[in-house]
Amino acid sequence: MTTRINPNRPSKIAAAGLKRIVLTAPTNLQVPHQQKPVRTKKNLNASYLVIAHSERGTLCDHALQTIAAAAILADAETNVLALILGELTEDLANVGADQVMVMPELDFEHFQPELELANISALIESIQPLRIFIPDNHTGDGDLGRRLIAHQKTKTAVTQVVEMDVGHVATYQAGGTSIAQTALPEITLLVANTVDTHLPFTALAQRSNQAISNQLTSNSYQDLGMQTIAATEIALEEADFIVSAGNGVQNVATLESLAHTLEASIGASRVAVDDGKFSRDKQIGASGKTVSASAYLAIGISGAVQHLQGIKDCRHVIAINTDASAPMVKRADLSVIGDAEEIMSALITLIAEAKSANLKVAA
Amino acid sequence: MNIKRIAVLVSTGRHPTSGVPRHCRNDSLALTIGIDLSHSDAAKLDVLHAGNANNPALMDYLALGADQISVIPTEPDTDIVDSLAERLGDTDLILTGSRAENDQDSGLLPYLLAEKLNIPIVANVLEVRQIGDKLEVLQFFPKGKRRRVAVNLPAVIAIHPLAAVELRFAYARQLQGKIHSLSTPVDRNQATSIMQWQIQQATRKPNKLKAQENLTGHERLLSAITSENKGGTVVNDGNSVEKAQVILSYLREHQLITF
Ligand SMILES: Cc1cc2nc3c(=O)[nH]c(=O)nc-3n(C[C@H](O)[C@H](O)[C@H](O)COP(=O)(O)OP(=O)(O)OC[C@H]3O[C@@H](n4cnc5c(N)ncnc54)[C@H](O)[C@@H]3O)c2cc1C
Repeated sequence: MTTRINPNRPSKIAAAGLKRIVLTAPTNLQVPHQQKPVRTKKNLNASYLVIAHSERGTLCDHALQTIAAAAILADAETNVLALILGELTEDLANVGADQVMVMPELDFEHFQPELELANISALIESIQPLRIFIPDNHTGDGDLGRRLIAHQKTKTAVTQVVEMDVGHVATYQAGGTSIAQTALPEITLLVANTVDTHLPFTALAQRSNQAISNQLTSNSYQDLGMQTIAATEIALEEADFIVSAGNGVQNVATLESLAHTLEASIGASRVAVDDGKFSRDKQIGASGKTVSASAYLAIGISGAVQHLQGIKDCRHVIAINTDASAPMVKRADLSVIGDAEEIMSALITLIAEAKSANLKVAA
Repeated sequence: MNIKRIAVLVSTGRHPTSGVPRHCRNDSLALTIGIDLSHSDAAKLDVLHAGNANNPALMDYLALGADQISVIPTEPDTDIVDSLAERLGDTDLILTGSRAENDQDSGLLPYLLAEKLNIPIVANVLEVRQIGDKLEVLQFFPKGKRRRVAVNLPAVIAIHPLAAVELRFAYARQLQGKIHSLSTPVDRNQATSIMQWQIQQATRKPNKLKAQENLTGHERLLSAITSENKGGTVVNDGNSVEKAQVILSYLREHQLITF
């Protein structure tokens, strides 16, 4: 999308009566990566509340997008308060959270909807947020959001919001054949990837830990525990940790043993599949599967666009490659340059040591 | 406590391309689970639909094994939650699909109903079984996670589309089954929703929300050629054990492994 050029920008009239544009001298030539301004520094009373569960101390992209959405929609008189349920080790300044409140006891691993609702309702009662934003996901927030909507009967609410701005929200209806619009409601449950998290400002992200105050006297639910399906049985699309092999992997046995020690699922590039090293259902990419693992270990994969398409939703990509200029290295969050076989073997040994040390500590 | 009354709430859907009315798969899963439970518990099964009794899609539910479907007539302004709640006061277990295909696919109905009846709700359920006076359910989560929850009865249970249930349609049952209209509730509550909706054909893609930026031409050029993206750490030095150690530390730092 192009921005229209301002026709009234600085100009002077040259000798022949021609209009000449004066180039404004860029003030930040020397420091191209200037600090972004803080969106609002005032200590504000009015607030937008964003609620999300953390996972392993961080927020998923979907939750970050929801905070960014609130920051984009908030005016200079409104605070963005992010309420994080579960531990948080991440800084939320660059997604625009002015205040961050953490309730570590209410993490996603435990099913305690009544306790969550009681504490959040108490918070809503005390701060009276103008609007509430929640990611509409399947990892606790979508469920919590709907409980909240049912509980806060007087508030207007829309779920499955696919489009939003200051004036309206939109959601699909009738199985996606029509789209329905309404004014921005008080509670919004937002679908993933509807917000650009690139912000021209930052926020102060003042943090406070909040111990839960409301305890319950009775409980309708009893959590009997979370279980995870074994990595070998789970569909690749659902896998959370994938060890993936490309043309740079000579020894499939080493890769399989690495996947086994990491309790990870196995994926492969097209070349590795074409070579007959892996079955077709392991292929990841444009003509294979699209995966969304938290951790993706790309071993000896160059990172052709067709492959990268399949891993665009992966959170942490780690590359092992002999070639530091491979496209996969640009995509990866961590790249280790070296021979796949050697590093895999070293990793297997290290993990085995770490596991046995853990066992000794536990014993 | 024995489950004496089970209610299954069914909605109707349409085929996405032909538009032909048909059953809603999620609700059919809930119905099949309800039928199986009612047999093992000798409980009475009510199948309820709020809408139009002449909708041909309801036939599918008869074929699936519902003996009778009770239809609560609705006007555009009736509050479905209220009308349903009136009929469900003495029900021990209410089963629904997790998200209807048609109308407002908001997934809110089970929650609103549970709140109205003041009973617990568990959504995205794959399996249901009765243990003592409680119901034990298996909940679906992405990334291969499942959670077992015991919930007090009465309760609302919304079934997940991946529930391992086989749908068995039989034409003979469709002929035997009956659909009957219930009377319109007397003191009909007006829908409390104050929201005004504007509905259009979904012909365009939704627009992404973006922050407004007032950049000079120079800044825009700069942002086009430099990217804010960190591009990740690249480790070139060290022997393979040190490099493996870097990977292990990264995995630990981001809590991707537990050892
Ligand atoms: C229409 C179309 C669809 C496609 N769909 C897909 C798809 O779905 N999925 C897919 O993966 N591809 C797909 N491809 C193919 C894609 O373009 C690439 O050819 C393929 O992904 C390359 O696989 P690779 O990275 O394993 O192999 P290569 O490109 O050969 O890369 C091997 C990498 O391993 C490194 N390496 C070599 N030796 C070692 C060593 N000893 N230790 C460490 N690293 C080493 C090399 O530096 C290199 O980066 C498609 C192509 C087309 C045209």
